[in-house]
Amino acid sequence: MIPFFRSTIFTGLLALFFLPDSYGQSHTYDWGLPNWVPLPVVPEDNPMSEAKIELGRHLFYDPRLSLDESISCATCHQQELSFTDGRSTSLGINGVSGIRSSMALVNLAYLPVYTWANPILTSLEQQALIPVFGSHPVEMGMEGKEDLLIQRLQQDNQYATMFARAFPDTAGSPISIRHTVQAIAAFERSLVSFNAPYYRYKYGNEPDAISQSAKRGENLFFGERLECYHCHGGLSFTDNMIHSRLPFAEKGFHNTGLYNLDGQGSYPMANMGIREVTDDSRDEGKFRTPTLLNITETAPYMHDGSISTLKEVLLNHYAKKGKAVHDGAAPSPKRSQFIVGFSITDQELEDLLAFLATLTDRSFLKNPAFSNPFDQ
Amino acid sequence: MKKYIDHNFLLFSGFTLLLIAGMTSLASSQKRIQLKFSAEISGEPFKCGTEYKNIGTTSSTVLPSDYRFYISNVNLIDTHGNLVPVSLDQDGVWQSGNIALLDFEDGSGPCQNGNPQLNDMITGLVPNDEYEGLEFTLGVPFDVNHQDVLMLPSPLNLSAMFWNWQGGHRFFKVDMATSGRPVPATSRTTASVDSTQTNPPSSGGSGMGGTGEEEAAGFSIHLGSTGCASASRTTPPASHCKNPNQVIVRFDQFNTDNNIVITDIGRVLKDTNVDVNTEDTAPGCMSGLRDPECADILPAFGLGAEAGEQQLFYQR
Repeated sequence: MIPFFRSTIFTGLLALFFLPDSYGQSHTYDWGLPNWVPLPVVPEDNPMSEAKIELGRHLFYDPRLSLDESISCATCHQQELSFTDGRSTSLGINGVSGIRSSMALVNLAYLPVYTWANPILTSLEQQALIPVFGSHPVEMGMEGKEDLLIQRLQQDNQYATMFARAFPDTAGSPISIRHTVQAIAAFERSLVSFNAPYYRYKYGNEPDAISQSAKRGENLFFGERLECYHCHGGLSFTDNMIHSRLPFAEKGFHNTGLYNLDGQGSYPMANMGIREVTDDSRDEGKFRTPTLLNITETAPYMHDGSISTLKEVLLNHYAKKGKAVHDGAAPSPKRSQFIVGFSITDQELEDLLAFLATLTDRSFLKNPAFSNPFDQ
Repeated sequence: MKKYIDHNFLLFSGFTLLLIAGMTSLASSQKRIQLKFSAEISGEPFKCGTEYKNIGTTSSTVLPSDYRFYISNVNLIDTHGNLVPVSLDQDGVWQSGNIALLDFEDGSGPCQNGNPQLNDMITGLVPNDEYEGLEFTLGVPFDVNHQDVLMLPSPLNLSAMFWNWQGGHRFFKVDMATSGRPVPATSRTTASVDSTQTNPPSSGGSGMGGTGEEEAAGFSIHLGSTGCASASRTTPPASHCKNPNQVIVRFDQFNTDNNIVITDIGRVLKDTNVDVNTEDTAPGCMSGLRDPECADILPAFGLGAEAGEQQLFYQR
């Protein structure tokens, strides 16, 4: 017993001394984050690695993931548009139109829930399956074609090497649907952006990184008259957030009063928000708050791309207690309590738009690590 | 793989050692206490998805979607009347420094913008002595309150519980949909000529007329500091806020083994009409001194010029 006890003390002390180092070794991937930014939370079964991200980047840009080899993930998620596509609603194969606007892919690693309107879709690995294999709407059209996809990937020698490097401990062939979505998810998690002028102003000790007009806009944004920040607060300007220092996944789904078709807050049937999932009429028109990062580059706006410019989003939608009012209806009784309407002067509008522009990270939009590898 | 196991063993041994050391000192001079809370609405336990009837002056039926609050500076009162601070367990989740978050929403149903975790107690250590009372503060101390929410440790880094740097944290947060005076959408236009409505249409309004009902998209009770002078919304105030709105709660006879602290928002809303909201004011009462919906709520918290005895907390 005595030797055992001594060894416990000894190893215990060792643990105290060496814990930080050995802990750090399990996080060898360098996110390239400024030191004020908390680390993201990554699923235990899909740790980040350079090899996996590089594989995921190739898959993301590869049109062979669609049935007719015409579109890739990047067709609807273009880097220079913060990985949106500039369309109201996106097109799948055969020109089939979807029902929602392509979402920006930025700081996804800090989100606890994905897509516009699905509170139970909580991982990127799950999400990546939808555009590839989904049938309602058809996007990449591979429903039931798992074997075809695997076959296409196996025929490419480069993928054999890349999958083996990304998933080195696999028994049998590492080329699988599971590894495909894991690699794409890893690439998507690597799309982090904390270099926008506003971050440099607020956290980077660069008081002149944003203009005086933007500073006035910041005050409006975080004020109680416009109420913007209640939903667009947090690390990435959305109230949906999770990170290593935050043990609680914060989620935010809201009805902004965009529609009020029947006077009782109805949205178009095809796009009723999370009611589609929860089957609760109170959830009509509730969508996940999107990030405002790179918002100047992601027009048109809203879940259905129904508003063309940021100026119209502010004047015709939020200032009016929802665009339903602009369109001649009553304010939606189902809208969030923070959609209070406001009047705003031309100067204030200019200031607010100047503030929103400081959330655009040009280095992110041009980062070669996120670009199409097949172009090189 | 071998290395991984060794690492776990090291960890385990280290914690065992700390645990033994901790228990030894505990036995000699300190004792552990648990302070239990219950969140209620007019005597009924709060639960996400439950409707509560007879709330406020209109006997409204309400459907709450949040019920969370911060407690700080927890003291037991010894037999000589001295305040003895409770040293809170630093659990990395619910308690940090001398501040704790009590959380009664479970993220289900109407609470979907919350999270699944729940917390109904504060735990910590006090010197091994006799105690007969309890005192604590509803609120976050000024020196922590206005720091950057992203930089603070849990539970102070929840954006749902934060206004902005200037205003600081929401000390107390209950959100609810109210339906005691429902306004059927089909009768919306007739509601605007309701003779009981005296508020003029606002200049920034929609042209729908300034009926209170039209604005009542829910009713919130958010308590926090106001009158915090700072250079901008995202700059912490340099000196204390004009209205700190911290509520000190004291129970002279309270035994942590037998008593629990009840929080009942129904008592706070007793004299308030939760079915209306005054145009151009925050929905419900967000601590605004001039917001008519706060006129009876702040005094019920024991705050403001008209302050009475605080009504929110009592013991059982």
